[in-house]
Formats: sequence, structure tokens, C-alpha cells
Amino acid sequence: MSGLACAGAAIAILILLSWPLIFNNKFYITIGTMVVLSAIGATSLNLIIRTGHVSLAHAAFMGVAAYTCVLLQMRLGVPFWLAMVAGCLASGLLALILGPIVLRLTGKYFVLVTFLVGEIIRMIFVEWQSLTGGANGIQNIPPGLDIMKTPTGFYYLALGAAVVCVGIAWRILSSEIGRAMDSVREAEKLAECSGIPVIKLKITIFVISCTLVGVYGILQTYLLQFIDPSAFNMEASLNLVVMNVLGGMYYLLGPVLGSTFLAALPELLRGYVDLQRVIFGVILIVVMAALPGGIIGLMEALRRLIQKLTAGKTS
Amino acid sequence: MFTLPILSQVVVNGLSLSAIYVLVALGFTLLFGIMRVVNFAHGAFAMLGGYALFYAYGSFKLPYALAVFGSAFTVACFGLIFEYLVYRWFYQKMFQSMIGLMGLNMAIVFSSVMIWDVNERTIPAAASGILSVWGLTIPMDRLVIMGITIVVLSLFWFFVTKTRHGLAMRAASQDVDIAAAQGINTTFIYRLAFFVAIFMTALAGGLYAQTYALSPFIGERPLMVAFIVVILGGMGSIPGAALGGVLLGMGESFLSTFYGAAVSSFVSFGVVVALLIFRPWGLLGKPE
Amino acid sequence: MLNKLKTLACVAALALSSGVSAQEELKIGGIGSLSGGGTAWGIALQRGVQMAVDEVNAAGGLKVGDKTYRPKLVMFDDQYTAAGGRLAADRLINSEKIKFIIGPIGSPSVLGAMAVTTPAKVLLLSNGFAPSILKNEAKSPYNFRAMNSTVEFGPAMVKWYRDNFPNTKKVALIAPNDAVGQAVVPQLEQYYRDNGFEVWKELYDRGSKEFTPLLTRMMAQGVDLLDLNSNAPGEAGLILKQAKQAGFKGKIWQVGGPSVDEIMSIGGPLAEGFISLNVFDFNMPEAKKFLATYRAKYGDGVINAQAPGWYNAALNLFEAMRRAGSLDVDKVRDTLKKLDGYEAGLFGPVQWGGMGDYGVNHQLLLRFWIVEVKDGKIVTRAAISPEKR
Repeated sequence: MSGLACAGAAIAILILLSWPLIFNNKFYITIGTMVVLSAIGATSLNLIIRTGHVSLAHAAFMGVAAYTCVLLQMRLGVPFWLAMVAGCLASGLLALILGPIVLRLTGKYFVLVTFLVGEIIRMIFVEWQSLTGGANGIQNIPPGLDIMKTPTGFYYLALGAAVVCVGIAWRILSSEIGRAMDSVREAEKLAECSGIPVIKLKITIFVISCTLVGVYGILQTYLLQFIDPSAFNMEASLNLVVMNVLGGMYYLLGPVLGSTFLAALPELLRGYVDLQRVIFGVILIVVMAALPGGIIGLMEALRRLIQKLTAGKTS
Repeated sequence: MFTLPILSQVVVNGLSLSAIYVLVALGFTLLFGIMRVVNFAHGAFAMLGGYALFYAYGSFKLPYALAVFGSAFTVACFGLIFEYLVYRWFYQKMFQSMIGLMGLNMAIVFSSVMIWDVNERTIPAAASGILSVWGLTIPMDRLVIMGITIVVLSLFWFFVTKTRHGLAMRAASQDVDIAAAQGINTTFIYRLAFFVAIFMTALAGGLYAQTYALSPFIGERPLMVAFIVVILGGMGSIPGAALGGVLLGMGESFLSTFYGAAVSSFVSFGVVVALLIFRPWGLLGKPE
Repeated sequence: MLNKLKTLACVAALALSSGVSAQEELKIGGIGSLSGGGTAWGIALQRGVQMAVDEVNAAGGLKVGDKTYRPKLVMFDDQYTAAGGRLAADRLINSEKIKFIIGPIGSPSVLGAMAVTTPAKVLLLSNGFAPSILKNEAKSPYNFRAMNSTVEFGPAMVKWYRDNFPNTKKVALIAPNDAVGQAVVPQLEQYYRDNGFEVWKELYDRGSKEFTPLLTRMMAQGVDLLDLNSNAPGEAGLILKQAKQAGFKGKIWQVGGPSVDEIMSIGGPLAEGFISLNVFDFNMPEAKKFLATYRAKYGDGVINAQAPGWYNAALNLFEAMRRAGSLDVDKVRDTLKKLDGYEAGLFGPVQWGGMGDYGVNHQLLLRFWIVEVKDGKIVTRAAISPEKR
């Protein structure tokens, strides 16, 4: 990484670590927590996108993990850590069952199938009232851990979880598996011919991704102390996709950047919600048509352009 | 419960539902068949068709036939702007088209929220009154829609089988490069196909808004319906859209009447998911 | 010389302006949906409360103890979601340092906001139908409901119907499968059963606008009364229209809404004979002043019937502050609870109730009306006060 990028990264890390101290105001701390949590969600979806599939069911998997954790903790008295692990395993298990079936489909069919599966799961949340509380959900969820009781504590918990999850994603993406994923995305048949077990790889990544998004779902639920099906609908899944596309689908920090925009902007620019959505829509079009790398891609392109210009000057 | 009068009423209701579903799906499948674009902004254009009909028929009080076809025509012309700005970057690129067009959908819907407000409006009905025959009831406005569907389907069939441009469109849909090699102006054909598709979508949207309600968000349901119908019938197949529309309409009528709304939703989604897994090209489509 | 004059002028202007703003500002929080589907209700809240604020300011301010305050409404959008309600409450309490909040509307948003307001000991005057907002283990000491929910107007309305239409046997409850529908239908079912009705119910997926198959199913059950209960106004109108078009010969009414204007607009002549709850009678003499003020400030558009309710809630809050002589939340809350008998002007004397249903008397019992569509006009059939249970 160049010197500028290192400095930028150092500043960003400093801000992240000291956020609650800079803004000693519970509201801004909570916003920070929400941004950090959605970064977890967006990064987990990024893994699936790197294999060439866009899932519109990601929020539904969030819901599965969240409901499992809440029900275990509140109805059966299971301690929080255990319930959280069980919740993530539940969504991972569901991904393991559905994965082999849906991952055989390509591009547009995969999007459609995940769209429908997400809707089916959401409808189950709504209909199964005796278990999930139906559309009214479950309220007064007690804090799972003592650290959750203060906004600052929750922020650092979320930050820790985000570091772990993004770290896992980084390790996967920068390893052999990551390169295999890239080759599968770019030329699937060729990858298969060179010996990569395509379906197994896709399923593995799908399961890991759905397990990780469970962390987002569970922590988000405990932040709001309230769970209802409307947090896990198509719009939520679409938001995760937009975060990825905006920030840059093929960079690790893309979803992190995208989630900062999407989660923070509506809160800070209160009052122009409709205009914001129009702008997001236009950005999506522009990115998909001309800038597949999103914001980070744009910055990369600018950096290379500057390099070329300055290199040209010195020679 | 399963008596003859009720069963016949179920069939009649099903036909009335099918008419709307077929109309809504036609434009969607055409865009995919010719340009391989999954038009996620389909609902937005239907909604614009609704507002156009609102002004044509509700405010300017034009005669109904003129209002319906005129408003659809206007929206299609307006849509050409989007063809130039947005769609032409996405032809033959399925993945990018999906997300880019989702963005277009968001942009159009929320611009509409800013221009008109979120409140639901009504468009006056084309015909009031109910036709009661042999113990069956059909509202007159639904009959009008069924009539329009048949007219539009026939016109379209005539267009693609008997006219020069229609045949050129079919050639381009089968293989765009060979078609160009044969001297077909593919840019023009794409524009024409786009125009026809948006025309049909806006027409369907206007009728949908007139039957139910008009607001910037009413396009969501037509989009979902279009997806399901087109998956059932086969993406890119016009007879498929007709078949899919009838299947969905009849299925919904039958299941909702006898088993309730929840069962109907679950079964329709379940069937579509199963179809996507085992036969994604639908009943009348072609495997790719 | 000129400079001296300028300085004098500036100082004089400052002195004058500071004299006018000698009153301290009292920020009142408002939460409601200002974008998306629920905007009509959010705006009703904003305008109702603003009208109360304007009225108090025009009368010279709010005298609490020996200080006079200038109330000001700070309103945030919750986008009708739980997360939105929570963030709006968070911002009001932590950024704006507000201790009194009016709103939100809609159970998910209220429940989201409660997670912040209850530990922060902030007074919440809201309108969410879920009983757990008032009734829970925490006894929600700072939550009050400013308007009637189904629990308040349901029993009286159903009993009225039974008294006026003794031959009706079976009622159909068709409702959307969302938070309100799922909460309200079991409650109404109980009230109907208590009054000797048979009940058939069906919940549909929110977003659907085609009800003909459901209505065919309903008619096969031999239903003679259709209750539109918690349906949104647009859907209520479509259900009525499609039911009549399908040949339903029974009576249609709504224990909920009110959606009378939309139903008349969508149903046209088919709406004849439709009976409904109405939360405000704009024709009564007490409403004149409210109407005139509203029209002068906001023009000639449709007035959402909830606006007077919020106006009333705000005025009650201000009166409680006056009587308590302090802005301490506990003191104001205790005074608010004892406000029975105070007349803000639109709904008669304040009456708190709800002990039987919620374990606390934090439900404002408002007078309501039963209206009918006759010859294309809305006619009042009865004015009812909810029972104090």
C-alpha cells in the first residue's frame, strides 16, 4: 500500500476506535453502532457476490439467526453467547440445505430464486404467530450481555464483531480460495476444467456468508431490543446489495464504505429521504453501466490516472 | 363449498385476473426476449402508465379508448429517453442490467414521490355496472379489461408474424449478429422493441391503476406478477406469457377461494421456486 | 458620528430582540412518518401538535411555576419502522435533550422508541395499538396512549350494532396480515362472540389489492355482515367495491379506520349504507374554531381526522405541566394522570381509563362517533364514550 493509503487507513482506524469519545452523545454513538453492524452484513454478502451470485435472500437468513437466538434466550433461558452461536449455526444450516439446490442456477435465475425464497421465509415469520409473534414480533428483549447495556459498550462490541467478521472475509479472499472464487466468477467453465470444485466452493462460501450475516442480524436485534419480520424483507436484502455495489463489489473495503453511506446518510441528512433514494438509484445505474468497481473502483482509477500522469511528467 | 355455481364463479374470477396478469407480463417478456434485459424497472413504467391515464381520463376527460392508448403511447415515447440514457448500456448484459435497472426503478419511483405525493388516488371507472348472467357476476369494468387484453394480444401477434418489422424483431431475438449481417438495423429494432414493450407495460399499468389504486408504489405488485408469469411461461416467450398469466390467475382464484390467501401465496411461490430449480426456462421457453 | 449612531442602533436592536426572546424555549418532541406510506398520519400529528403550540404561544406562552416558556415542536421522521422510531427517539432525547415526546404512530415504531424512552424516563404520548405498550412487566410508567385503540372503541361499537341490528348472525373479519391486523382481529373476534355473533376471519398478504376470490370464499360461508376493521383506507374501499360487485347482499361496516372519505371516493354509489367509526365530527359546533385555524394555516386540503386528536393530546400535556408547576417528568406524569375533568375543547372532559385491560390508567378515553353514508352524505348516527374498564 502506498504511503497515502497507509495514512488514510491509520486515520480511519483511529476514528473508529475513538468514535464514542469524539461524539459523547448517545445518538451519534448508536448511529456509529448501526453503521458498523451493517458493515458486517454487507461484507458477508460480498463473499457471495465474489463467486458471481447476487442473493436477495440475505436478510431472510439474518432473520433466521436472529429469531433462533431470541427464542432460545427468552423462551428457553439459554445464555446469550450460546444462543448467538446457535442462531448463526441455524442460518448456516439453512444455507447448507438450500445451497446445493439454488447455487446450480446462474445469474438471473439465482437472483429470482433468492428473491422468492426470501419472501417465503419472511411469510413464515409472519404466519407462524405462536412461535415468532407474527407481524407484531417480540418486544422487550433483555440485553444479552452486560456490555450491551450502554451505547458505548455496545459500540465496542459491534466493532469487535465487525473486526472479526471482516477479518475472516479478508483471510478467505486473500487466500487460494479467494483466487479460486475470482476465477469461478469470471469464467466458470474454465475454472471447472482446471480442477476447481465449483459447486463445493460456492456452497462453502454461501454457508460461511449466511453464518456471518447471522451476527449482524442478532446484534441488530439486541440493539433495538425488538424483533419483527419487516426488518428482514426484500428491501433489507436490497440495501445490502446496494451497499456492495456502491462501495465496490470487488474490493474488501467496498461494502464497508457502502454501508457507511447507506446507514449514516439518511440519519444525518434528515428530511430529503426521497431525493436520497433517487440519487442512490442513479448511482447504481452509473456504477453498473460504467464503473463496475463502485466508489473504490473510481478512486483506484483516479489513482492510476494520477500515477500515469506524474510518471509521464518525470520521464 | 365445491358446488357448481361457486366453481363457475371461480373460473370467471380467474379469467378476469388472468387478463390483467397477461397484460402486465407481455412487456416484460418482450424486453427479455429481444434484448436479454431483465427489466427491474417494469413496475415503475406501469406506474407511470397509471399516472398518464389518470391525467388523460381523469383530468382531461378524453374518450376512454383514446385515453388508454394515448396515455400508453405517451409513456412509451417518454420511455425512449430512458432507452437512450440507461437501457442501451445493458443490452445482452444480464447481471449488470438487473442491478442497474433496480437503480432506475428506485430513481423513477422516488422521483414520482417528489412530483406527486404518496397518497393513493383513484381513476374513474370505465364502465360501471355488473353483468349478471346464469348466476355468475362479472363487473363491467373487468369485462372491458378482458376485451382490451384480447385486442392487444391479437394486435401484437399480427405485428410479429405479419409485418416486416415484427419479423425483424423475431430474427434479432434469435441471433442478433446474424440479423445484423442480413441487413437488419438492430439499433432501430431494439428501439422499436423497447417502445412496444413500454407501450404494453404502460397500458397494463393504466388499467391496473384504474381497477385498484394509483400511487408511486403500485408498481411493486405488477413487477412481482410479471416475474412469476414469465417464469411460469418462459422468459421471452409471448405465448408463454399468455399461458403463465392464465395459470397464475386461475390458480390464485381457485386456491384463494377454497383454501384462503395464505395457502395461495405459499403454493404460488413454492411452485415458481420448484420450476426455477428444475425447469428455469419455463413451460414454453427454450433452454439456454 | 455615523459609526456611533450605527453602534447605538445595533445595541438598541439587540436589546429589543433579546427582550422579546426572554422566554425560554421548551422543546417538545414529535415522531411520525413523514415519508413513505404513513405520511398522512405523520403530518396529522405534526400539524395537530403545531396548532396547539401556536395557540399556547399566541396566548403569551406556557406558564409553569414562576417561569414562562415558549413551546417548540421538534419533529423527526420514523419512516413507520421500529428502527426509525428508535433512532428518532434517540436523537430527540440525546441530541435535543427533550423529555416529552408526542407520537409515534404505529406499534412497531412505538415499541422501538420505548427501548430508549423508558430507561431515559421520558414521557411518551403515543398511538400504537399493541396492548403491550401500556401493559407489560415494566408497567411502562411513562407511556400514555393518546387515542382510542380497538380495545376502547370495539366493545361499545359491537354492542351498538347488536342493539340496532338484532337479526345479524355471522360476521366476516377480513384484515391484512400485518402488525395491526394480527393484533386487532383476535380482539374483535372476542367482542363479537361476547355479543352473540358467529365469526369467520381471513387475513391476506399486505400489498394485495384483488379480493374477489376471498370475497367469493366469504360469501360461501353465509356471512351477513362484513367488518373492514384494520384495513388501510385504500384497501377498505376496494374490498367494499369488490364485495358489492361480487353480489354481496349483507351489510358492510368498519370498526376501525376511519376511511369514510376514501370508501366513498372508491365505491361511489356502492358505498350507500356503509357504517363506520369516526374519530372526529367536523360538523359539530366545538370543531368550528379548530377548522378555521387549520384552514387558515394549512389551506383547503383534506384534514386527516387524527389531527384534532394530537392537538388534544398536546393541550393536555401543556395543562399537566401548568398544574404541576414544574417540568420534572415524574411530577408532570403524576399530574397528567390526575387530569380527569379538564376540558381542552374538542373531546369533552378528559377521562383516563384502561385499568381493566392494561393494569394502568394510561389510556385516554376519547368520545367517538358512529356514522353512516346516506344518499351520498355522511350522517352521524350515534356519539359514544368508551367504557371505563
